[in-house]
Amino acid sequence: MALPRPSAPALALLPALALLPVLITVVAGLHAGGVEILLTCLAAAVHPSLDPALLTALFSALQVTLAMALAGWSLSLVLGVLLGCCASERLLQTWNWPTWPALILRRSLALPRSVHELIWGLLLLQVLGLHPAVAVAAITIPYAALVARVWRDQLEALDPTRLQALLQGGAPPLAACFTALSPAMGTVLMSYGGYRLECALRSATLLGVFGLGGLGTDLQLSLQSLQFRELWSGLWMLGLLSVALELLLTLWRRQTRKAQAGQRRLCLFLAGVIVAGMAGGLWLQVLLPDSGIVVWQGLALPDWRGLTQAAAELPWLPLIVETLLLTVLAAGIAIGLPPLAMLLAPSRFWQVALNPAWALLRLIPPPLTVLLLLLSNRPTLAIGALALGLHNGGVMGRLLREELEQQSVDQQQAMATSGASARLGWLYGLFTPRSPGYLAYGAYRTDVILRETVVVGLIGGSGLGWQLLESLSSFHWDAVVVLIGAYALITLLGEWLSDQCRTRWLQS
Amino acid sequence: MSSLLQLEQVRLAGSRRDRLFNLSLRIHRGERVALLGPSGAGKSSLISVINGSLTPHQGTVLWRGKSLRQRTRRQRCEIGTLWQDLRLIEELSVGQNINAGVLGRRGLPWALANLLFTIGAAPCLQCLRQAGLDPQVLAPEGLDRPVQQLSGGQRQRVALARLFRQQPSLLLADEPLASLDPAIAAEVLDRLLEKNADGSLIHGAQAVVVSLHRPDLIHRFDRVLALREGRLRIDAPATAVMPADLEDLYAL
Repeated sequence: MALPRPSAPALALLPALALLPVLITVVAGLHAGGVEILLTCLAAAVHPSLDPALLTALFSALQVTLAMALAGWSLSLVLGVLLGCCASERLLQTWNWPTWPALILRRSLALPRSVHELIWGLLLLQVLGLHPAVAVAAITIPYAALVARVWRDQLEALDPTRLQALLQGGAPPLAACFTALSPAMGTVLMSYGGYRLECALRSATLLGVFGLGGLGTDLQLSLQSLQFRELWSGLWMLGLLSVALELLLTLWRRQTRKAQAGQRRLCLFLAGVIVAGMAGGLWLQVLLPDSGIVVWQGLALPDWRGLTQAAAELPWLPLIVETLLLTVLAAGIAIGLPPLAMLLAPSRFWQVALNPAWALLRLIPPPLTVLLLLLSNRPTLAIGALALGLHNGGVMGRLLREELEQQSVDQQQAMATSGASARLGWLYGLFTPRSPGYLAYGAYRTDVILRETVVVGLIGGSGLGWQLLESLSSFHWDAVVVLIGAYALITLLGEWLSDQCRTRWLQS
Repeated sequence: MSSLLQLEQVRLAGSRRDRLFNLSLRIHRGERVALLGPSGAGKSSLISVINGSLTPHQGTVLWRGKSLRQRTRRQRCEIGTLWQDLRLIEELSVGQNINAGVLGRRGLPWALANLLFTIGAAPCLQCLRQAGLDPQVLAPEGLDRPVQQLSGGQRQRVALARLFRQQPSLLLADEPLASLDPAIAAEVLDRLLEKNADGSLIHGAQAVVVSLHRPDLIHRFDRVLALREGRLRIDAPATAVMPADLEDLYAL
């Protein structure tokens, strides 16, 4: 029998098999009364609390979250672009400067990038105390490093001939760079920048779940006190904000596509980013006038002996295996669920009906799902995987929908005329052409999921994340440093692996 | 001769003018029909109406005496199309693309398995040979070779093999010779039109309709249908079509 040679669509569908062990474990782990709690929570979704006092408090918390997101987003975008330019060998060569500083900078940015914003938040909380600037900095640090990487990669990927032509024609380097590179990079900035704003909003909510203020804190308190109607009031409010933001960004992208004067649009966007950052900072001052100034609380630096001792004490094998298993299962669900759901229900009606489901899954921070599941279940790795998988499945579902909307229906039509059912027409004619791109994004998402395992690990009692929380709670700084180092290393390895897969699938 | 397909007073509206206007014709068993006409005459529209991908705004299309719209999924397999843009699935291998021709007769498990393995290698190879492509040229991967690595002529043969794998009763080809060099074009036409000694078409279909932009090839066909501005201008045996008719058609 021939060895299986799965093609891209099969590779995108097979990961859905991860749902089987996860669901079996979750269903088997349900305790008496657990289902009732879950159903009560779901029923509250259509019956949220409309108490004016509560809505006022939630609205105030939502403003804090939005202000944190705007400030963090703006700072990370500005810093990321500057760092990305400095990390680009091509730009340095334009001025005939040596390229080794770019290489060093690129390698240095790997560390802040690989550490999740939640860890940054918890660390900064220890050294700066509870202050809105902690959340802003926690978003800014990893996001700026991420933006810098994307910016630098895009700069390097551009066709160099246009820049060379201008330089050979005697144009000054800065003018040549702006002329040759900014049209393409402007599109990247506006498109990727918009995406990062959505991420910043999600991160700000997540940081709130861990006590850094804003709507996330309210959601977490509502859930822990089993006030499901209050929880859903907050979630719907967050949903409305997300939808409004998405509409605004879609409108902007459409306008940008239509606009002849793209450079003017870019300037407008940059001005918008800076204004949003300043407005976010000022807004936080107005909303939280008692927060005072940031004070460095001091942190004793760990010594080498302490670090080696902490490393020797930690049970590395189970921690790493659990983290990787969590990643694989969650990535399987995230990648496999959207195409599986669309394949099972290929009609136009169901495809449209799935959209709000993806939006809802994206909206709910994974720690909240874990907390919700823990009300009816014992803590297992499967719960963390399900929460993380569903949340990222929402992101992948939306991406797949957008991908499929861009796909020509010619091949699907060709399948239909040759007698293929709607389901097979969808699979072969519509999904297959888009599956390599979808898989490539899935590889990137797996990389993100690996970073996010810390978030559910902290609550779900599994992997490095759980151990990190334990060490943070007991102020065992040596172990914290070692664990963060290990996390960074695994994340960088995962990033390298996902880069390899992405390149391969995009070339296939 | 019994008719396979019947069009009655078919009208297909377009954005500026009708793409097909009051078109009535029949396609009979055993016929090889050339569809001629200048660009924009409505050839591709007619093929799309026949294969059901476009629904006419007026008139009826009958397949074996029943409305085309009432066909079951299995009956849809009976009309196969070689599209002008081939519509191969670039991300799949040669074998998987050829197997896509039988999706109308298979279920989801088979379709999923075909994405994992190239299943049914023997019929795929047979169809490939029938389409005029020696499987040796696909070495070393053979049927696992990605379609996007093939040349234009090879891709044409794979699309033809997919069509043969479908085993349709009526075979439609929309400008199959466009962008092919004369030698390959002649061979592709041979594969579409060759007959067995008993008069049946070699690929098993009961009739063939081929839209062409080369009037010099009509002697290879039994019948000529010619369109201009969506109207049927010529419907005659190929031997009865005079050069003057063609000059008039193309307004030379």
